[in-house]
Amino acid sequence: MLDLTKKKILVTGGSGFLGSHVVLGLKKRGIPKENIFVPSSREFDLRVWENCVRVMAGQEVVFDLAAATGDLITLERSPGTTFYDNVIMGVQLIESARRAGVQKYISMGTVAEYPDTAPTPFREDDLWTDLAPPALHSYGVTGFTKKVLLMQEQAYKKEYDFDAIHLLLTGIFGPRGKDKYFMGALVKRILAAKREHKGYIELWGTGEAVRDFLYVDDAVEGILLAAERYDSAEPVNLGTGVGISIKELAGIVAKVANFKGEIRWDATKPNGTMRRISNTERAEKEFGFKARTSLETAVRETVRWYEAQKV
Amino acid sequence: MFNLTDKKILVAGGNGFLGSHVVDGLVRRGVPRNNISIPSSKEFDLRAWENCVRVTADREVVFDLAAATGDLVLRTKIPGKLFYDNVIMGVQLIESARRAGVEKYITIGSAVEYPEQAPSPLKEKDLWTGSQSSVNIPYGFGKKVLLVQGQAYREQFGSHIIHLLPTNTYGPRERVSSGYLMPSLIQRIIDAKRSGTRFIDAWGTGDPVRDFLYVDDTVEGIISAAERYDEGEPVNLGTGVGVSIKELIALISKFVGFTGEVRWDRTKPNGQMHRIMDTSRAREKFGFSAKTSLEEGLKKTIEWHVNSSLAL
Repeated sequence: MLDLTKKKILVTGGSGFLGSHVVLGLKKRGIPKENIFVPSSREFDLRVWENCVRVMAGQEVVFDLAAATGDLITLERSPGTTFYDNVIMGVQLIESARRAGVQKYISMGTVAEYPDTAPTPFREDDLWTDLAPPALHSYGVTGFTKKVLLMQEQAYKKEYDFDAIHLLLTGIFGPRGKDKYFMGALVKRILAAKREHKGYIELWGTGEAVRDFLYVDDAVEGILLAAERYDSAEPVNLGTGVGISIKELAGIVAKVANFKGEIRWDATKPNGTMRRISNTERAEKEFGFKARTSLETAVRETVRWYEAQKV
Repeated sequence: MFNLTDKKILVAGGNGFLGSHVVDGLVRRGVPRNNISIPSSKEFDLRAWENCVRVTADREVVFDLAAATGDLVLRTKIPGKLFYDNVIMGVQLIESARRAGVEKYITIGSAVEYPEQAPSPLKEKDLWTGSQSSVNIPYGFGKKVLLVQGQAYREQFGSHIIHLLPTNTYGPRERVSSGYLMPSLIQRIIDAKRSGTRFIDAWGTGDPVRDFLYVDDTVEGIISAAERYDEGEPVNLGTGVGVSIKELIALISKFVGFTGEVRWDRTKPNGQMHRIMDTSRAREKFGFSAKTSLEEGLKKTIEWHVNSSLAL
């Protein structure tokens, strides 16, 4: 087991939603604050090689959460920028980490790396069951760029015995979540409707699409356990393994938020992929991770945080 | 049709085997030699962003043939370095070209981008059918990354980036040190003939079938595509005709005048049994089909090997 408490740790993207929770989780784990370095994207533009070298100097463990994210609309409009930013940051960070002699590199991938044709629940062995090119829309480009990093990590493992692990994260939600993502947007809209005494809210699709949502505290626990105990170039899913329909989820949020209005579905709008659930056996077997927080509790914590923001 | 003759052209990798022939082909097409820049890898290490910016500044057309290839041994030994070099060079060169306002960008990929499971003849629509074998990750997948980048840039920025998938190209100036089959076979047969050795050793059974494209044809395909093709979908360059390794060795032996025996080492792997290109898209989209027969191409290539090894 890798003892993180004495390590110098770099968390790229550590000011973002998940990144900030990883930093918090590291502190809870007993890592002194001064051992954790969170470069700000203003000061260190990680698309520039020299900045990758600078942030890496003296680090022993790296959590790479730097990514060009964005809502669906931004991703639809800018596949080129999304591609370039993700690849150039990720590829150079891995190379600079190798040169700096980093002992462990934790690479944050995504469930979007699975091809649309992969059978669900997603198993890690089905990551390459592609039948079609990656979609240039929605999360397709992000998924592909993360897969590029997985290829690099595996090649580095072979040649340099570079110790990188690659986690495939499902949709994460929780306090401080951005409202550009589904869960944040949903909570925010339900709270707004309640505040404005609206009788209903309208959501896209039929509500029948099924997703696997992981509460951020569980995600962090999975990431840290993997960093401590997992040591193979084979990617690992992090999810709950349990699917929930968008309709059920909206119902739980409405109940927790005490919204009594109606939820209407605009079936003329797309549902997206109908079922996306992660198989979680490998994470459990390899490093004993299992999501513990109930959906109700997780939603309650999330709603409470959004309420406190007075949005 | 896109007229190349008055364009400022960058040929990245223009000192390599295929690259040098592309330069010759452009000159034959009427492009003034001083419109073509060929950065040497010593002076411009294209893994460094600043050098990508310098070589693309004021360029209007880019042929990207820069690649870290290497034989099977190298791909197995240093996959990480090869992968990094290919991705970092290609990705940055496309971005710097975009910023420099380059009008047309031709990425030279490879048939190695096809996954093992893709059925032969290889069709462009099967490029994503399954996973890449691990020896093909550093170069094959490295180039595939550039295909997706080109498509994403076309979508967002309207960039005129095209991606070509040439099969095994052979011809004069391809050195044995490249690690590819053709120069190695030819040189070994010439050496055996010269030294009077009665046999040569070869791997496998000689049954695998491959598609070899003579370099003048590859260049014609590349330049025609630059002039006439402007879509995001990749296009194969090949002959569409297969030849078995056994037949190939027989032809080379005949032209070299080697009458000895071929000893097949059946304990060594054959690789895939049948791999030829489907050439319909190139024909349909920019009227390309290979003109040089295998016999003719081999004769010219053998002549070059004979002369260049005499010069040593």
